[in-house]
Amino acid sequence: MSVIELNNINKYFGSGVSKVHVLHDINFSADRGELILVVGPSGSGKSTFLTIAGGLQTPTSGEVSVEGKSMAKLSTAQRDKLRLNQIGFVLQSYSLVPYLKVKEQFDFVNKVKRQGNLNQAELKELLVQLGIENLTNKFPGELSGGQTQRVAIARALFANPDIVLADEPTAALDSARVAEVGKLFKELAKTRDKAVVVVTHDVRLMEFADKTYQIMDGKMTQATNKQPAK
Amino acid sequence: MYLALKEIRHEKLRYGLIISMIVLIAYLIFILTGLAFGLAGENSQAVDSWHAKSIVLNKDSNVSLTQSVITTDQAKDAKLSSKEAVIGSTPVVAKHKGKEKVSASFIGAKKSQFIINDLKISAGRKARGNHEVVVDQKFKDDGYKLGDKVTLNSFNDQYQIVGFTKNAKLNVAPVIYGTIPSWKHLRAMEGVPVVGSAIVSKNAKYHAKDGHLKTYSISYFISKLPGYSAENTTFGFMIGFLMIISLIIIAVFLYILTMQALPIYAVLRAQGIPARTLVSTITSQSLILMVAGLVIGAVLTAATASVIPIGVPMSFNLPVLTWISIGLLIMGFIGSAIPAQKIATVDPVKVIGG
Repeated sequence: MSVIELNNINKYFGSGVSKVHVLHDINFSADRGELILVVGPSGSGKSTFLTIAGGLQTPTSGEVSVEGKSMAKLSTAQRDKLRLNQIGFVLQSYSLVPYLKVKEQFDFVNKVKRQGNLNQAELKELLVQLGIENLTNKFPGELSGGQTQRVAIARALFANPDIVLADEPTAALDSARVAEVGKLFKELAKTRDKAVVVVTHDVRLMEFADKTYQIMDGKMTQATNKQPAK
Repeated sequence: MYLALKEIRHEKLRYGLIISMIVLIAYLIFILTGLAFGLAGENSQAVDSWHAKSIVLNKDSNVSLTQSVITTDQAKDAKLSSKEAVIGSTPVVAKHKGKEKVSASFIGAKKSQFIINDLKISAGRKARGNHEVVVDQKFKDDGYKLGDKVTLNSFNDQYQIVGFTKNAKLNVAPVIYGTIPSWKHLRAMEGVPVVGSAIVSKNAKYHAKDGHLKTYSISYFISKLPGYSAENTTFGFMIGFLMIISLIIIAVFLYILTMQALPIYAVLRAQGIPARTLVSTITSQSLILMVAGLVIGAVLTAATASVIPIGVPMSFNLPVLTWISIGLLIMGFIGSAIPAQKIATVDPVKVIGG
């Protein structure tokens, strides 16, 4: 069973003459251990897809299910709980609380979600894997773009989610860093058995993906120009 | 609370400025309350010390002790028990060669009745004769001492200060306790069939049984002291406005800070952090700021009170200051309501896009 499935998702914004059909019959699934890329230009519906997949907004029609459980039946509080426990978000910016040191970002998650997070040994291992074990006493403002993104990934993985949803995680990075993040996502998907879904317009990440989908004008297709995964 | 404390510690200057503003407001409110109580006390200290519940005055006196005169005829049916005392009151100016003149309230009373019986002497003794007086501590502060002989108004008679008493002021003027015959002398009523200015009673329902006399509650009598109500209302308004200003300050600052941090809150909501956790962060922040402001404000007030000159009428009533502090905390809590509502309804989608 796929860890996340989107079946026949349609999303409209507005009404009457200004009604816009943003997503057209989207069918999507992701399994554990997979790095899946969803690429498309600005305004193609990528972010709408991501927010629907993450339970931040509801589709006009269709169904989203996580581990076989339909999101449509969940209350707002239950969706919060689902996101806290099963979905990790890595966002382009603002992913970290600016006035918490790196180690406090994890302490805060521990205070809100008391069970199911990585223990101290697992966290240390993750930080070493991400190469940020020496940054724990720094504030986000003291980190470079690449370091910030890696801390954000660690923050998302700390809650031990089944799915990681990343929105433009390489937007502020140079090519070397993009490759680094690509490798990292792929490695994390495999070694930590997560479904990692990356929404991006950065085609440089395609070489690391197990599957690549393309969104164009709200329609999703399997990308034909996918480079073989490394 | 965790996020609230961390943010305050990280943004020391920003939150320091907010706290300093709350400190100033709290300090101003505490000082004004102290002054309000101090002045109110100086209006009614003497009456309060009598522990009376009611006062009988001539009904045509417009509830003024100095304007009231009770004749022998009017008082003939008044039954005076140990709970009643007759007093005569008149404003006087006390003089003693080489010393400042002191404007005072002369209260003549019978030494057998409770006002003189219950009078607490801080130095010296009670008056025994018509030319002996017990005076308020203010005289001592002005350089008068036991044994000094003062003259009152334009009369040549001398009255020896035989005792001092604390907290004896009426309408801000220090009280001189003497006898009823002395009061009659000062009012030029010797030989006139009058008993005094008023009958005070520890019985709330005391009646003098004469159509020319009227019983008032002590609280009403005090409220009618010249300037008393106007003064208290003015202070009340000032304190009230300051509390509203504190609410606006906390609301505006927290609103601005919240709006700046809204993208962070949106991401935290996207990450599944419950809205109540984030709302409690903003309310905790508000309460931390208010408590810090109040504590520092209270310390500054205490420091001010310890160095303020004796002549400044300031009195700190702990229960009242506690209630004012609770009121300010509630204002802070209300002030955080609007930013809290913004956080509770923040839409992560607007930050992430889509």
